[in-house]
Amino acid sequence: MPNVELIKITKRYDNVVANDNINLAIKDGEYVSVIGPSGCGKTTLIKNIAGIIKPDSGDIFIDGKRVNDQPIEDRGIGYVFQNIALFPHMNIWDNVTYGPKVKGWSQKESTPLVKEMLDMIQLSTRVEAYPSELSGGMQQKTAVARALTSRAELLLLDEPLGALDVKVRAKLRYELRRLVKDLHLTALHVTHDQEEAMSISDRVIVMRKGKIVEIGTPFDLYIHPKNIFTANFVGEANFLEGTIAHILEEGSIVDLKNGLRLRVTIKNHKIDDHVVIVFRPEFGVIRDKDDNKTFNRLSGNVIEILYSGNIVRYKVKLVNNATIVFTISLSIQDPKLSVGDNLSIYVPPEHILTYPYPKGGLSKELSLE
Amino acid sequence: MLLKPKKPVSSSKLVVWITLIGFIVLVLLPTFYLISYVFLEWDEVRFEVFENPIIGDENWKQMLKVLFFSFRLSFSTVIFDLIFGIPLAYILARKNFPGKSLLEDIVTLPLVMPTSGFGFATLITWTTVAGLGGVLGLNSGLIPLDAFIPLVNVPFIVFIVHVTLTFPYIVRTLATKFRSIDITYEVASRTLGANPLTTFRKILFPLSIPGIFSGSVLAFARSLGETGATIIVAGVSSTASIAIVRWTSEFKLATASFMGSLLVIIAWIIILPVELYLGQGKRSLNVPFVVPISLTNRILKFENYVSKKLSRLKDLVPLFIVAVTVIVPILAILNSVILYWSADPYTGKIEGGVWNQLFGPSQYFNILLRATLTSIIVALVSTFIALCISIPLVFIIERKWYGPPIRSILKIPLIIPTSSLGLSVLLLWVSQGFNLIGSGIWLIILTHIVFAVPVIVESMIAAYEGSDISMYEDSARTLGATAYNAIETVSLPLIKGGIITGFILAFTRSLGETGATFIVMGRDITVPALVVNMVEALAIPAALFTSTYLIILSMFLLVIIRITTRGP
Repeated sequence: MPNVELIKITKRYDNVVANDNINLAIKDGEYVSVIGPSGCGKTTLIKNIAGIIKPDSGDIFIDGKRVNDQPIEDRGIGYVFQNIALFPHMNIWDNVTYGPKVKGWSQKESTPLVKEMLDMIQLSTRVEAYPSELSGGMQQKTAVARALTSRAELLLLDEPLGALDVKVRAKLRYELRRLVKDLHLTALHVTHDQEEAMSISDRVIVMRKGKIVEIGTPFDLYIHPKNIFTANFVGEANFLEGTIAHILEEGSIVDLKNGLRLRVTIKNHKIDDHVVIVFRPEFGVIRDKDDNKTFNRLSGNVIEILYSGNIVRYKVKLVNNATIVFTISLSIQDPKLSVGDNLSIYVPPEHILTYPYPKGGLSKELSLE
Repeated sequence: MLLKPKKPVSSSKLVVWITLIGFIVLVLLPTFYLISYVFLEWDEVRFEVFENPIIGDENWKQMLKVLFFSFRLSFSTVIFDLIFGIPLAYILARKNFPGKSLLEDIVTLPLVMPTSGFGFATLITWTTVAGLGGVLGLNSGLIPLDAFIPLVNVPFIVFIVHVTLTFPYIVRTLATKFRSIDITYEVASRTLGANPLTTFRKILFPLSIPGIFSGSVLAFARSLGETGATIIVAGVSSTASIAIVRWTSEFKLATASFMGSLLVIIAWIIILPVELYLGQGKRSLNVPFVVPISLTNRILKFENYVSKKLSRLKDLVPLFIVAVTVIVPILAILNSVILYWSADPYTGKIEGGVWNQLFGPSQYFNILLRATLTSIIVALVSTFIALCISIPLVFIIERKWYGPPIRSILKIPLIIPTSSLGLSVLLLWVSQGFNLIGSGIWLIILTHIVFAVPVIVESMIAAYEGSDISMYEDSARTLGATAYNAIETVSLPLIKGGIITGFILAFTRSLGETGATFIVMGRDITVPALVVNMVEALAIPAALFTSTYLIILSMFLLVIIRITTRGP
């Protein structure tokens, strides 16, 4: 059960800084995911830890030992690849026993562990099969078992489910977490699928342009993202620009122009500060037209309705010409709205996040590039 | 709206037929005729080889001796190539370092190098005082001409020449194979605890067995058929290829073709199982026996040690070999030309200088100019005709059900020894066969077409299969292109790189070809054949100059290859 610590890791490729001065500590037994837009350096990060690439500067510690100069094979890691990488010329048994064999362990020593792993992934009856004869899901389970039979305690997963079908992916991710927790391993899991990361991790790392933007529990990243980029990248959110109009005892009032005003809970701004307010599409309540309460109410016309299974998405053009997305779970209470209808939504202040307006502009700050 | 009328189906059939007939007559027929000629003239073969009234079956004994020598030479060459070619291919495929593309060029150089000129350069380097011997302060060459390598019992200098000329086949084929194998397998093996050497033995090596085999076949065939350089360095020893040249020049055509057929057939018997195995499309070779644990553990310990302590060695030794076999001879011959420029540096005689031999009474410069012209005409015309056959042939190979067998038949001209090739073309087109043309430039052209077609086809197929041609063509068809339009506007531009590479490879090979040309050229001498003549006439300074001239010409062409194949 090793911990991992990175201190000031930097890695450049030509002009691109893939890892820019990264500091990170992963605790024993933790399941940590790394998410971020493509090219943000998340794969570079775990390749640095595995020793597949060498950082230009900085130190890597695994279990308290500096491993910068250790070759891959001496780091005691298990690495699971997106393209699975089971050796095509070996059957399942030879693949899974590869680690013990090349480490020169006696068969007596390694066979029980190998059998246990094969039982766990329910492939004990198919050890003679070649990788190409197995389904993608089975192949990836075998790859995990192979990593574990060499007694890896630090599991590095590089988009391990990326090559699999959606259904298999959803099932396997929970199996992965259970495995890691049952065997008391430490896992670092790189994925571009934020839902995957959110649903299985103890903590999630959000990366962008080679830097760590934010680290937090899935709940915190979704409900209280500290960073406006995280708010955009994790889940879906509405972004509205405004200025601070009043500062009250219990929060502030943000002016969104054309008479739209919202109360937020944050107070640490000055009057006339340029801010961005953010709220999730599902954190609103539809108000009846004849309801007289105007508090924290956003009104506009529905310009588009999309159904995606149990969720209905309304695109609404507000009176200040900004567009927001509002979603409700489909239930027997269908609001029966159609395009062009007027819609009023109440957004509770405690679900509105407020950020200072970014210096380089909002779209640049949220850009996934 | 302008709609081009659809071309009638029959014209497409016509193209296919013309291509196939051209291919069969120009490329395949000579070899088959060579073999059938042995049967037609069996009485003469028996008389010359087995039941000669004066020497009995002495010729047969000679043949066996020469054949045995040739195969011993080719086998040991391939083994040596593999031992040092595998690490070099690995470096080229997996490592990035400054000067890598230069190294690749240097490794490729012997492919485009005129063999007789290069053979002469190697000879100078190792056996004369103008080469390494002089550099090391000796009064003679570093190695005597008759030095033999123990165990395999082949002359050192012949071995060196064969290694140099075959090395690129192994290195290039393997580097391509290694590149095609996903590096993730190796990384996975490392993460599971295997050191780099164990990883190579258990992962990369078994996965690249097909590449190792096909590279070995190419190198083996090249060594077996090598004539141009061998004839210059062989001295008293004779390979099968040289024996064919000798018998042909003595007009013992039946004997020569018997020897040529034997060489072709034995080569096939050795190569065919490999080809069949490769054709099965297996991904690797499974070792059928079990190695005891104690031994595996000892191997693992050894590999651990080597990986940790000696990894530099595997990088440096192949580089050293490339430097010594390719770069040093070029430098040595340049140096010699300078030394010999005005006079023989040892005797001081002006007649022994390059200048005098070129422009003096022997007038070698005029002959060289004429030979250059002949060489260039031959290279241009033969490569052009080969191109006309190859382009439709590639599409036939890729699309028709009878394509794959054509592709494997194409291996025949690639593995046929060049002197047998020359002989076969001579037999087919001159007096014994069609009796259409005599020795000379047109016969050289016909000979060069035979090896130019497979060279161009192979490099086009590589380009064809490297990009998803049928997908692009299909999308062109959905946009309204006819089959011809699609080929013209989509497929041909996509494989342009392969066509150009093939053209230049065939062109340089034609420029440098010696063995076959020597047999068919008659009075129209080419530059590489001229080098052989000069060496035989002991006009060493003129040979030095001509070799240098050829080498510089081929290096220039290599630069063009690099520029055209570098891509956007």
